Amino acid sequence: MATKDIGPKNELQKGLGAAADFVDERSGVKTGGRWLLFRNIPAGTSWFQTLGFTAMALFGMQAITGIILAMYYKPDPNTAFGSIAHITNEVTWGWMVRGMHKWGASAMIVIVFLHMGRVFIWGAYKYPRELTWVTGAILLMMTMMMGLTGYLLVWDQKAYWATVVAVNIFAAAPILGPYIGDILRAGPEFGPDTLSRFYSIHMLIIPGGIATFIGLHLYFIIRLGISEPPWAKRALRAQKDEEDARRAAARNRKAAIPGSVSFPPAWVGDGQEVSR
Amino acid sequence: MKKADKIAYDKDYAAAKKDGKPFFPYAIYKDTIIAGLAILAVIVLAITVRVNIGEPVNPATTDFVPRPEWYFYFAFELLKIFKNQNALTPVIMATFMVPNILIILLVIWPFIDRGPERRIWKRPFGLALAVIVTGMLCYLTYIGASTPEGVAKGDGIPVSGLEGASAAGAALFLANGCTSCHMVKGVGAAGPGPDLTNFGAKGWDNAKMIKWLQAPIAPMPSYASLPPKDLDDLATFVNGLGTKYK
Ligand code: HEC
Ligand code: HEM
Repeated sequence: MATKDIGPKNELQKGLGAAADFVDERSGVKTGGRWLLFRNIPAGTSWFQTLGFTAMALFGMQAITGIILAMYYKPDPNTAFGSIAHITNEVTWGWMVRGMHKWGASAMIVIVFLHMGRVFIWGAYKYPRELTWVTGAILLMMTMMMGLTGYLLVWDQKAYWATVVAVNIFAAAPILGPYIGDILRAGPEFGPDTLSRFYSIHMLIIPGGIATFIGLHLYFIIRLGISEPPWAKRALRAQKDEEDARRAAARNRKAAIPGSVSFPPAWVGDGQEVSR
Repeated sequence: MKKADKIAYDKDYAAAKKDGKPFFPYAIYKDTIIAGLAILAVIVLAITVRVNIGEPVNPATTDFVPRPEWYFYFAFELLKIFKNQNALTPVIMATFMVPNILIILLVIWPFIDRGPERRIWKRPFGLALAVIVTGMLCYLTYIGASTPEGVAKGDGIPVSGLEGASAAGAALFLANGCTSCHMVKGVGAAGPGPDLTNFGAKGWDNAKMIKWLQAPIAPMPSYASLPPKDLDDLATFVNGLGTKYK
């Protein structure tokens, strides 16, 4: 065992150690966890690579504040508005939880877009990370659908009419549109069932989807390793070395062809070719 | 990417990893700091800019603004751009073509841009596309955010000559949220529906209007569930706008 023995162990310590070993022997969590934490990542990893984790943290915050809101919220056209007013005005810290959930939603959208921007600018979606990008794109759309479905739950005029328009936009699409509209509205019209349908989409279906896709996203990221910034010091050095080697090879090839003359001779130029 | 490029990348990445640092603590400490700051910002915003709550759904008031969350402003603005034009650029463009092209492009982008080059300044096409799309989204969001809401505070619709059926129609117009999409003499939202201030000039009769209200073109919702008398009153009111009721 890795731990140092400091004096004899009491029964409890022995028992816990044995339990941990038992679990590790069967699941590999201890070994796996250690691998996960101490695996190497490129040294040039930058602050911009924290945005994905931040999106994940915000998703966690949305889940927690959302669960608290769900304890007070009543998804029924007659009581929804009142229950939101109750949360906002009466429940202890209710305004705070609701405020965090609302601002958290906007923050998550902003961070996810910034994260996508960094991945795009770095070309981090290129081989071998194409599928990481695809799972990410699906996450982006699900995050936006969360905003759309959550907005209606407040059941005030502004949200109601905005959602009517939005759902009608979906419904206006050719072929599948009318069906999507019917599914979202729970029928051809906005009615009492629409609210509970949006509620279940907002708090069960999409969060389940997001959690699943975050899992997939992370699987790819851990399996493939986080990319190195294309302009990390090491990468630039490697690029230069490679370039130099290629030039040297080209010169050698030229020199090897009988009768071809290169001036200055290949062995002179090396020191001057700092910039490519 | 060609096979040789892939092999070269794998080799390069392995080298980067060999010279690397462990994930814990070198990456995780940065992650924790930025995520902590983000959550702190959310808490500060929640405390300083309190959430409020609007009017409950569907009372006969006019002082509500039908706006989506800011990240959907661009979709609503697209709708306004493609509306009010000829039949060749119908709402389908805004509601279906443009968003779907963007979504498909987003999802399959790694399979379009497959070259080995990762430095952004050597990918001019990708850079240009990103700048154009981002610029367009920001611009539309900005327009959406700065559109005057144009909703009067509970004064009714400022047209003269209303009586009987047309007065009832005006009340229904407000009560049914028509102003959330249509403007009449500065009352109501500037979109996504057309301004109806001078609609009477089109010379529709009530039967045509009732038919429209029962089965309009999306995204306008259907009002088929209103009683026939209400539909008729609404039709009287809307058909006289700008002609009988100015
Ligand atoms: C959800 C937003 C929305 C609401 C609410 C709404 N409309 Fe519309 N309306 C539209 C849109 C968008 C159009 C344009 C449709 C098209 O022609 O493609 C439109 C078109 C119309 C037209 C036809 C205009 C023309 O020039 O062809 C009339 C009339 C009309 N609406 C009346 C009403 C009335 C009356 C109400 C309330 C009972 C109402 N609308 C509620 C969005 C809305
Ligand atoms: C809910 C939304 C998302 C979460 C929680 C999330 C999470 C993460 C995390 C934790 C990482 C690790 C590296 C980092 O933090 O930058 C990552 C990397 C990555 N993400 Fe996301 N992401 C999300 C959305 C997206 C979107 C919208 C895209 C693009 C369409 C995307 C594409 C990628 C790619 C390609 C990588 C690998 C980048 C690399 O290895 O350098 N992700 N993501």
